Amino acid sequence: MTGPDSGLRILAHRSAARTIGREISRRRFLSFAAAASSVGLLAACAPTAAATSKAPQATGGPLEQKLSIFTWGDYDAPEVLEEFTATVGPKITVSSFSSNEEMVAKLVGARGTSGYDIVVPTGPFVQPMADHGLLEPLNHDLIPNLKHMDPEFLGRTFDPDNQYSICKAWGTTGFVYDTEVIQRELTDWNDFIDAAQNEASGKTSLLDDPAELTGLYFWANGIDWNTTNPDDLDAAEAFLVNELAPHLSAFDSNPGSGAIPQGTQALIQAFNGDARLGILETTSRPERWKWVLGSPATELWMDNWAIPAGAPSPEAAHAFINWVLEPENALAEVDYIGYHTGEADIRAAAEEAGVEMLDLIFFDPDQLATMHEGELTSAQERIVQIATKVKAAAGA
Amino acid sequence: MRKHSGILLALPAWLWLVCFFVVPVAIVVVFSFGEKPDIFSTHSLEHLSFDRYAEVFTPAFFTTFLNTLWIGLAGTAICLVIGMPVAYWMAVKVRPERRGLLVALVMVPFWTNFLVRTIGWQILLAPEGWLSTLAQGIGLPAFEILNTRQAVLLGVVYNYLPLMILPLFVAFDRVSGPLREASADLGAPKWTTFFRITLPLAQPGIIAGVLLVYIPLMGDYITATVLGGAKGNMVGQLVAGQFQTALNWSLGSAMAVVLIGIILVSVAIGAGIVWLVTLPARNRNRLVLGPAEPAAARSVTVPAVVEGAGA
Amino acid sequence: MSRPSTRSLSDRAFGVWGVLVLIFLFLPIAVVIASSFNVGRLLVSWDHFGFDSFLALFLKPAVRDAVLVSVWTGLIAALVATLLGALAGLAMARHPGRWQLWLLGLLLLVSVTPEIVDAVSLLPWMVTLGQDAGIAVFNDGIVRLVIGHSLFSVAVVAYLVRARLVGLDAKLEEASADLYATPVTTFRRVTLPLAMPAVLAGFLLSFTLSLDNTVIAAFVSVSGSTPWPVYVLSALRSGLRPEIAAVSTIMLVLTLAALALVAYVLKRAGDSAADIARTMSGG
Repeated sequence: MTGPDSGLRILAHRSAARTIGREISRRRFLSFAAAASSVGLLAACAPTAAATSKAPQATGGPLEQKLSIFTWGDYDAPEVLEEFTATVGPKITVSSFSSNEEMVAKLVGARGTSGYDIVVPTGPFVQPMADHGLLEPLNHDLIPNLKHMDPEFLGRTFDPDNQYSICKAWGTTGFVYDTEVIQRELTDWNDFIDAAQNEASGKTSLLDDPAELTGLYFWANGIDWNTTNPDDLDAAEAFLVNELAPHLSAFDSNPGSGAIPQGTQALIQAFNGDARLGILETTSRPERWKWVLGSPATELWMDNWAIPAGAPSPEAAHAFINWVLEPENALAEVDYIGYHTGEADIRAAAEEAGVEMLDLIFFDPDQLATMHEGELTSAQERIVQIATKVKAAAGA
Repeated sequence: MRKHSGILLALPAWLWLVCFFVVPVAIVVVFSFGEKPDIFSTHSLEHLSFDRYAEVFTPAFFTTFLNTLWIGLAGTAICLVIGMPVAYWMAVKVRPERRGLLVALVMVPFWTNFLVRTIGWQILLAPEGWLSTLAQGIGLPAFEILNTRQAVLLGVVYNYLPLMILPLFVAFDRVSGPLREASADLGAPKWTTFFRITLPLAQPGIIAGVLLVYIPLMGDYITATVLGGAKGNMVGQLVAGQFQTALNWSLGSAMAVVLIGIILVSVAIGAGIVWLVTLPARNRNRLVLGPAEPAAARSVTVPAVVEGAGA
Repeated sequence: MSRPSTRSLSDRAFGVWGVLVLIFLFLPIAVVIASSFNVGRLLVSWDHFGFDSFLALFLKPAVRDAVLVSVWTGLIAALVATLLGALAGLAMARHPGRWQLWLLGLLLLVSVTPEIVDAVSLLPWMVTLGQDAGIAVFNDGIVRLVIGHSLFSVAVVAYLVRARLVGLDAKLEEASADLYATPVTTFRRVTLPLAMPAVLAGFLLSFTLSLDNTVIAAFVSVSGSTPWPVYVLSALRSGLRPEIAAVSTIMLVLTLAALALVAYVLKRAGDSAADIARTMSGG
């Protein structure tokens, strides 16, 4: 196989093999064009299709043996998961993603064959996903623990009847920095950018999520981060790709599990609960990490439990969601993941239980006023494109 | 009848590969001419165009291709420089009884899980890991190499080194001992023997080693993901990102096609260079490579060597 | 004729270089094996010595399932690849003709295409076959993994079997035919035993290749039948734990056992160290 002769002959026939491939693909192309355009057609008329109410799959039947959860990184207390398997039965497998776009891409690409039973989309994605037939309606009869939820966190604008989603946690975005590397005090996003370009150059990490990656620029410059103004987007792209990308060393949506305890970077954009998890897990000199809430503006996101279309274990999925909404489990979750899970009176319960670093979990009204919810706008594709270019530029 | 039975025997394999390799890859090539109509669709083939290729060649993305090419060429060159002495040592200098053991030793890392090997490097290079602390203890600065392109280069050299050593070993092993001894007997110093006898005869193996390393290296995805962070971006990650996050199959397909194109073009250029470089040598030493049967080769070599040395 | 026993400086230098490179090659593996004795939360920070991480294989269902899926898929993929590849190799060696350029070209294409391209093209195709064409078997995780793993392995087995049979004389089969044996009998009692070492080696190599396959598996796998490398890949994002190292050590031992078997089989059949090396590096 390594003789020079067979090498030459094979070169000639590679084109022949390609032609064969093309011939076959011509036939496939036609059938595929039909399939592709039918998918496109489905996508176009999906809203009307979803309007004909789909009856939820789960009807309170026997629980399946396995449950597969597709969620953000390190987003559930291990003891809650273990207790579920020990008490209720189904074995749990957890897979994680870094951004909503990645989750959507997996579900769209798999078209129902992904094998996941629960996904955790952020608010703005819930309705578009439902419209595109990616989510199943929830059967509220199987989730009696909804009564423990704080009504303020149910019936949000993106899903007024909680038809497809139930609040899992809500939180915000900020950053942590290593005070041993950055000696001065950082207080807002502009300080973040400045430090990234100076002391922390080459040791800065951004969230691996297009929304927060581009949001950084808008929050720092007082622009509404849901803008669709092309000038704003161009400015964001120009700045992020040219001024900031060269200084970045990582894109990480889950620094609490690795980067913060290991000190791999010195300046890390992070979600509040994940930062808290990271700081609590740091064994050597945890006092060097300082958390800063993003200002003058930042985001308010809400992640939700949802069941994807084609889930193999819908009964177990409902049982799990019900399980997590149990007050003791909700408290255990808050203690581990560091986010407000939407349960009624959870703040009092957390204070009573002595949960650490409460200031990273619960916020006062002034801070809440600076947090803005995100939307899925027509600029979404541009946002994803900007993120891709930033990542490419960072590696240059 | 015999010919037909041959075709029949090979048919299952051929069908399998066509069905699950040629067809999907051909479809990807077709995708690359499409576009992305809206957020939740992967692609649309309604308007076919070369626009995705134009997008690939914009500076934003093309720098990644150039970086990958740089890592590919540098990595292969380093593997060659490191691997050739080792292969030569194994094939020529080591006692025959020990060769099997050495081959086994080189193969063990090769057959360890690729991902796990790379994670081993992540542990070694961690800035706050034990090795870095040790280094700091003896006065060296803390390791800063992780999440840089150099880390990726180190990782790929490490991962693909056995793939360079083994074919080179086989090639050097085929250059039979008596041939080298004859050259020495005729008064040639060791370097001359190496460059005029061993190296040309081992050429097919060297080419095999280079290709076996270069081609997978260009498409590498794991090493860059584990060791590269943001700085060690390679095309494999770019393609994966378009399929996994950006949901833009057309752009991802175009990137994949351009990657294959770059590999083919660089291999062709490399082959051309090798052909040119060995042209004068080939005309001078008309040494005929016989079939790999020791008896036949030995009976042919003596007059050939005389001819080559006398030319 | 014996060589002079004094080793020259250059010989020593070669030896030193060789040993250094071998140490380089083994360094990360040694680190991984050492880390499997770490009992702690994170893989990279050493906590204390213990065997607890090895127990994770038995205690953690996710880990156990991933390993079982990998082993099971490996066996099936190796079976499929060996069957197809052996027939193809046999055909190329014993029934040569112009037709084999099509197959050779295809096999070369498979070897030359980057794995990431295979991966991103296979998933949409599987989904199309499973959902649009309604062939439900393609929705099954194990089926998808077997198909993805077998692609490269078919090429490897075909090369191996062909190389082995080409090196052996066809006269034995002709003699068998002369003695009135039917083609089937000849195949069963002459060709197959002759090719058996290569077939066996191909089977074991396909098994190890399948255990190692990460990129294609990451794209086509269905949650619920996640193979081990994909589990590690996702653990990479959410924090590596020492059990990863522990299970990797176990898998390493498994792979080495399979490879030792290959080497033994080939050695019994008369291959030299160089031949075995050529076999192992994929021809």
